[in-house]
Amino acid sequence: MFKLHRPGWLTALALVIICCTRAFAQPAVFSKPLSPRIANYDIRVRLDPAKRMLHGSETLKWFNQSGDVINELQFHLYLNAFRNSRSTFMKESGGVSRGNKIDKDGWGFIEVDRIALTSGEEVTGLMEFIHPDDDNAEDKTVFRLPLAQPLPPNDSIVVNIDFTAKLPQPPFARTGAKEEYFFVGQWFPKIGVYIDNQWNCHQFHAASEFFADYGVYNVKMTVPEKNIVGATGLLVEKKMNGDGTATHFYHAEDVHDFAWTTSPEFVEFIGRGQDVDIRVLLQPDHIEQGLRHLEAAKTAVEYFQNWYGDYPFPNLTVVDPRRGAGGSGGMEYPTLITAGTAYGLPEGLRLVELVIIHEFGHNFWYHLLASNEFEESWMDEGINTYTEIQIMNDKYGPAGDALNFMGLKLNTLQLHRAQYLFNAAIDPTVRRVWDYYSNGSVFTNSYAKPGVLLTTLQNYLGKETMRNVMRAYVERWRFKHPKTRDFINVANEASGQNLNWFFEQALFSNAVLDYSVDRVFTREVKKGEGFDFDLSSSRPDSVMTKRTNHKANDSAEAAGKPKMYDSGVHVRRLGGFKFPVEVVATFANGEKVRETWDGQELWKKFRYLKPTKLVSATVDPENKIALDMNFTNNSKAVDASRLGVNKLSARLLFWMQFLLDQPEFMNLFTAFIPSF
Amino acid sequence: MILKSLQLGWQMARANKRMIAVFYLANLFFGLLLMWPLRVMLKDFIGDSMMGNKLGGALDMDFLFEFIKHNEQASTVFFGLVFIVPAVAWLFTLFLSGGALAVFAKGEKYEPALFWGGAAKYFGRFCRLALWSLPVLAILFCLQYLESGAQRLFFGKDPYQNIIYWGGWIKAGLRALSFLLFGMILDYARIHAVLNDENKMRVSLRTGLKFISQNFLSTFGLAFLLLAVGGLALVIYNPLANSLAAPNGLIILLLFLLQQFYMLFRATLRLTLYASQLHLYRGLATEPVPATIASPEVVDMNGLAPATE
Repeated sequence: MFKLHRPGWLTALALVIICCTRAFAQPAVFSKPLSPRIANYDIRVRLDPAKRMLHGSETLKWFNQSGDVINELQFHLYLNAFRNSRSTFMKESGGVSRGNKIDKDGWGFIEVDRIALTSGEEVTGLMEFIHPDDDNAEDKTVFRLPLAQPLPPNDSIVVNIDFTAKLPQPPFARTGAKEEYFFVGQWFPKIGVYIDNQWNCHQFHAASEFFADYGVYNVKMTVPEKNIVGATGLLVEKKMNGDGTATHFYHAEDVHDFAWTTSPEFVEFIGRGQDVDIRVLLQPDHIEQGLRHLEAAKTAVEYFQNWYGDYPFPNLTVVDPRRGAGGSGGMEYPTLITAGTAYGLPEGLRLVELVIIHEFGHNFWYHLLASNEFEESWMDEGINTYTEIQIMNDKYGPAGDALNFMGLKLNTLQLHRAQYLFNAAIDPTVRRVWDYYSNGSVFTNSYAKPGVLLTTLQNYLGKETMRNVMRAYVERWRFKHPKTRDFINVANEASGQNLNWFFEQALFSNAVLDYSVDRVFTREVKKGEGFDFDLSSSRPDSVMTKRTNHKANDSAEAAGKPKMYDSGVHVRRLGGFKFPVEVVATFANGEKVRETWDGQELWKKFRYLKPTKLVSATVDPENKIALDMNFTNNSKAVDASRLGVNKLSARLLFWMQFLLDQPEFMNLFTAFIPSF
Repeated sequence: MILKSLQLGWQMARANKRMIAVFYLANLFFGLLLMWPLRVMLKDFIGDSMMGNKLGGALDMDFLFEFIKHNEQASTVFFGLVFIVPAVAWLFTLFLSGGALAVFAKGEKYEPALFWGGAAKYFGRFCRLALWSLPVLAILFCLQYLESGAQRLFFGKDPYQNIIYWGGWIKAGLRALSFLLFGMILDYARIHAVLNDENKMRVSLRTGLKFISQNFLSTFGLAFLLLAVGGLALVIYNPLANSLAAPNGLIILLLFLLQQFYMLFRATLRLTLYASQLHLYRGLATEPVPATIASPEVVDMNGLAPATE
């Protein structure tokens, strides 16, 4: 793939030269389009910081690349989710998002002031709010615009929209303002996606994210001149307006969204990861973590490019949200992500690394591969959680890759598996976001479970094969809208196996996976008693051979040979999820017998006759099946050890004693009062 | 004076090994009460799994989450216990403190009748004292909000995170200080009650407060010194305990013994504190303090009639 952008400063220079000659012209980053470029925007917007208002006008050029005649357009007005307490978003969320609440006077909204077509024809009066998901007449996050002149296939339409918006305070559900800090996402009237012969333009739901078509964005943002700006794409020009404001012109190609941020307080850190320029906009509280942010971003860029494919964009901006603006943290936009940290965050608590790796990952699973986040959230959040698990473990593992602090070690996989355990069976993984049973189920099925199930698949296929699958998926579906079935098809092809049996259970059912070793036993084979053993050799051979082993043991014992032991291992499948599994039986002489069970039946019994005792048996001995609900019941010993119980009991006893030994009164109060 | 009191207190505590044993065993008993349900849950959950052996080494985080998941109902009961048992343990320690102070005040060695008689005699008073002292606790607890006020005053409503962070530590320090002060007030109030056979706990509380305010450096220095010794012991204990990590029965036994040795040391420190404070009080109090106290009434278990030794 040809890239004009390397090195980055040359690109920037080229863009500046181009722009000096053509006002609001379209500078080029890529020599030819990487995406279909269906929805293209030129936007001018002015920020009124005191009122948290945006005054904007956009020109949308939309191409009808479907084979249908289009009779209407549909648009998102995401900011209207924060308009009042009766929007679908607010009803579903109860007014709380990630623990944040909008201030009393912090409501946000967007008003369309005027819509006109290229012909100059004003069509504002034709716009009509619709509620395709829940018939909530008070939700104003989607509107339709009937076209008097239907748009034939392969034709385009230009729509000019003037709008006024107010940002919520504090930042809520990714967007908003806090004092001098603004994070501006989902802020302009944005056209839906025409796909599968219809508009896919969902209302803004509490747990949902977004879905959009690719295009080219030229955005001019006017902000106070002392402000620093970060945005999707590349800075083309910064113009001082002489009235205390400056206009920042950003250009982005082959992206499906545009977000920006501004604050006079940002401290800039610049670096480079492989062929990507990295810019970190840090809050002054966190200056000492600047290099940490840069390193994490470099790690993310390097791992993703090495493992999963090329990141074709020349730059990446990492934004550190202001204190009190956590609602805008941990979010992804094309070439722009937000992280989140706290002053004094210990190195061993790898929150910064985890969030940056996760959010950069979305520049693959969301941006390069624009799946529908409303309908199949596992395809962005889930696949991204899987890649985050792998990178965190490779970079900071093998133990304690997420937390390695004061002797406590926790891996990212363990973190996600823990969440999965508590909500494993509530819903199938693939659902529309607002159709899940609960918030817990949304997050489990969007993030944790897919991360765990894809790790299970990786352990089943092998790392290399799984990376081939992911690379093939990126290669085939970049700059398109893949669906779950597309991912499965790629996985089948790239692995050379039919994995439908796995995905059907893992993605389309709520079946849980739990294998257990139910019983182990070992007993000495005693000398036989009864009819057969008392017979003379005149008995027919056919009868005698039925007792061959016993007879052999008797004669062996008589000849001073080792005793024989009859041992058994009973393995059960406790959940509905069927998965091939390994069983290892360990014997007293160190011998290990490895068995494979396809897991189709409810149980399987293994029987051994050996001159040594069975010591233990383990199903899935390397814990490859991360989906297994209970690793503890995966093994059984003939003579169980109480070491663990005793050690944990001793530890617990000590801490209980210590708690109780605090000076009088303190034990009642100190233990239960939050520290800060 | 502090060091002399400390020295004497240490000697008196060590001379009363049975009393140390009583305090230690009481702590062990309540610790076991809290730990035992968890042990049963652990044992049931682990069963004959090889996890039983694995956990003899490091804690497995997967196991921890599975354990919590599979014991969600039982956890509720346990958390109930976590609130109830410390409350009962606190009352029992309050009860024992009467016995310990009676023995130290009389300058004698541990005698069951003296110790338990003293515990019984002063328990009611100490409970009343605890109730009277609640407003003092509330006031001291509010000390920490000085930091909040100063933060608001100097840095406004929206301070940078480093201010919040360091302010949080200052707040935690103030909170710890307030608990230490409260403990001291309660201790000297108890000492006054025992030495003067005071029935009115308002008077003892007032005397305790007055004594501390008049002799702040000595009283605080003594309490802080013993607190620091306890903390230092923990600093020594932790790496030692962590080094005993091998999944081996003998190592686990060693760990248990080390833990109990540490708790025994803490019981000794507690009694040292009582004895040292009592000595300090006798040495610094402005009002006359009896050199010894009358023996508490003991109960004649045969005749069920009050009797004196």
